[in-house]
Amino acid sequence: MTADTPRRRTRPNVVGHASLLALSLLSVFPIYWMIATSVRPTNELLTSSLVPSALTWEHYRYMWDAIPMDSMLVTTFLMSVAITVTQLLTSLLAAYAFARWSFPGGRILFGLFALTWLVPFQVTMIPNYVLLSNLRWLDTLWALVVPQTASAFAILLLYQSVNAFPRDLLDAARIDGANSWSTLWRVLVPNLRAPLATLAILLFISSWNEYFWPLLVTRDIERSVVQIGLQMFLTSEGNLWGPMMAGATVASLPILVLYIVLQRQVVESFMKSGLR
Amino acid sequence: MRVLTLLATLFLSTAIAQSYLPPLDPNEDITITFYNYNLASAGLGAQGTQRLIDEFMEANPNVTVEGVGVSSDQMISRIQADVVAGRAPDVAQIVFDDLDFLANGLGITPLEELVAPEELAAHYEGFNPRGLELGRLDGSTYGLAYTFSTPVLWINEDLFRAAGLDPDAPPTTWAAVQAAAQTIQDATDAYGVYVSVFGQFDWMFQSLVLSNSGRVLSEDRSELTFDTPEAIGAVQMLRDLRDAGLKPDLGFNEALEAFLTGNLAMYVQTSAVQSYLLSASQGVFELGAAKLPAFGDKPVQPTNSGSALFILTDDPMKQRAAWELMKFATSERGYTIITTEIGYLPLRPAIVRDPAYLGDWVAANPIVEPNLAQLENLSPWVPFPGPNYKQMALLMMAAVEEAVFGDAPVADVMLDAHERASALMPR
Repeated sequence: MTADTPRRRTRPNVVGHASLLALSLLSVFPIYWMIATSVRPTNELLTSSLVPSALTWEHYRYMWDAIPMDSMLVTTFLMSVAITVTQLLTSLLAAYAFARWSFPGGRILFGLFALTWLVPFQVTMIPNYVLLSNLRWLDTLWALVVPQTASAFAILLLYQSVNAFPRDLLDAARIDGANSWSTLWRVLVPNLRAPLATLAILLFISSWNEYFWPLLVTRDIERSVVQIGLQMFLTSEGNLWGPMMAGATVASLPILVLYIVLQRQVVESFMKSGLR
Repeated sequence: MRVLTLLATLFLSTAIAQSYLPPLDPNEDITITFYNYNLASAGLGAQGTQRLIDEFMEANPNVTVEGVGVSSDQMISRIQADVVAGRAPDVAQIVFDDLDFLANGLGITPLEELVAPEELAAHYEGFNPRGLELGRLDGSTYGLAYTFSTPVLWINEDLFRAAGLDPDAPPTTWAAVQAAAQTIQDATDAYGVYVSVFGQFDWMFQSLVLSNSGRVLSEDRSELTFDTPEAIGAVQMLRDLRDAGLKPDLGFNEALEAFLTGNLAMYVQTSAVQSYLLSASQGVFELGAAKLPAFGDKPVQPTNSGSALFILTDDPMKQRAAWELMKFATSERGYTIITTEIGYLPLRPAIVRDPAYLGDWVAANPIVEPNLAQLENLSPWVPFPGPNYKQMALLMMAAVEEAVFGDAPVADVMLDAHERASALMPR
């Protein structure tokens, strides 16, 4: 019995670890392929060999010469940070209000907020564009950020977390003399770090990958974003896979860094969500 | 009475003469916005176009051209949004299938109403007359043909030799293509042939239908005609290649990659990819080119892909600046830049052998010859009418894809699509 126990424990672990290892390799492989393609010689770009026969930086040089990657990275970063921060703020305030207080028409208002999630981007695209044109904001960071400062997705996601927060703690804070504003920042936010971090990373990635809206509101390529820059390597005269992958490698670095920094909170948030 | 008529005629002709574009004022600076889909790429197209713009501005120091990259499939929706916002571009490079919408939907002004006849005639001198037809609709010229390419049968010459075929005598009919594909597949591991006809643009499909003596739209533009035996026959030819196992079930990009890795012997694709194919095939295989094959002894009628330049502004001075840019872009020098740097066809035949322009380049790049030869038999890419023109083309092209790669009878698929698309025709 005692001899059997470790064996029984080991076997599932081996299978589990092997499966996880295989899945990890499967997940990492596209990233490896992207980097490998970015350093392959041009005549090897379409071959299926796993390892490049030689390493070259020519695609990185071409990419950097062909598109204003540095200014695109700066614009995309500023846009993503601004959208993430403003959406976090607006969704936190809205979720707090909807979850904490009952007020006349609150449910209807919440329902209307939720319904905006179902309105396709194409419906609001042109009216927003005309409005920004009238404000003379086109080709500015304002045009990229302002129409995206609030989203139903972020509100709904945070509403779940705020709603699940123990009301006794909020009431205790009130009895201790804290007003609504200080309760939000001193009690609620420190305890919602994990969902806020998850939402931040999701919002940042989503903003980082923005394509259609920046395509519409920017004319000047210098003020455009990286996803438009990457698309420029897919041409009707043939796709330039080497520079495209070089650009994709550079463009994915900030996301990777962000994920590494917030990894603990993200994993924690997903685990808690799974257990709830 | 006769005097009155004479006076009226004089008045009218003066009024008409005054409505033509004024010349550029050397003391007035003008800025025009130029939407261009080649500028939306980071490849040769953008470099060549920027050079074109730079040379134009050097020759016209008081005109500033702001080139804006907009992809070809986004061009019309972007222009529509800009029209609503009151910031439409002044001149734009737009693909030919949008011609009817530009003329009748957006109501742009034909060149004949903007430019004096003698000035138009002077610019048209030396222009390929078939090329000029591409921007015309109902007798008016709305766009000036600009970048331009035709369907070419690209060949992997190494695979031809490996199968005992002569790459210098490429197949000239679809029956010969099928036989060559079979021989190559029997002798090598490569696929036989791929015809890159699928996708949202129907210009190459129109080439096949026209070459099989059919049309996709009646001559009076009142009804869709891709339900005719000729049109269905063109699709059937593709289906037969596929059913014989000679045409692989690949998408657009996969077919291109199969060709460039030496796994596809024949590849029908636009001549616009010439520079890309030449550089990517270097060191992999020897690239050859031939004209679009024929259906038996029927004359081949290739259509064109590509674009025309359209004036969209209402401001006469900007219209003049836009027209000057269009003239430069389609001049001998303009086409020399377009052909050598981007790879599109020149629409001025005289410059092809002229050493001052393309003579040396064509001699050094004989692979362009089949493409040039097809200009002689060129037929315009016909745009569909009405506001639903895109949907009609998409329905037709989706049916072609389903008919070739699916199992249902070709005629059934095409007739069904024809019925649905016909309901979208303007009444």
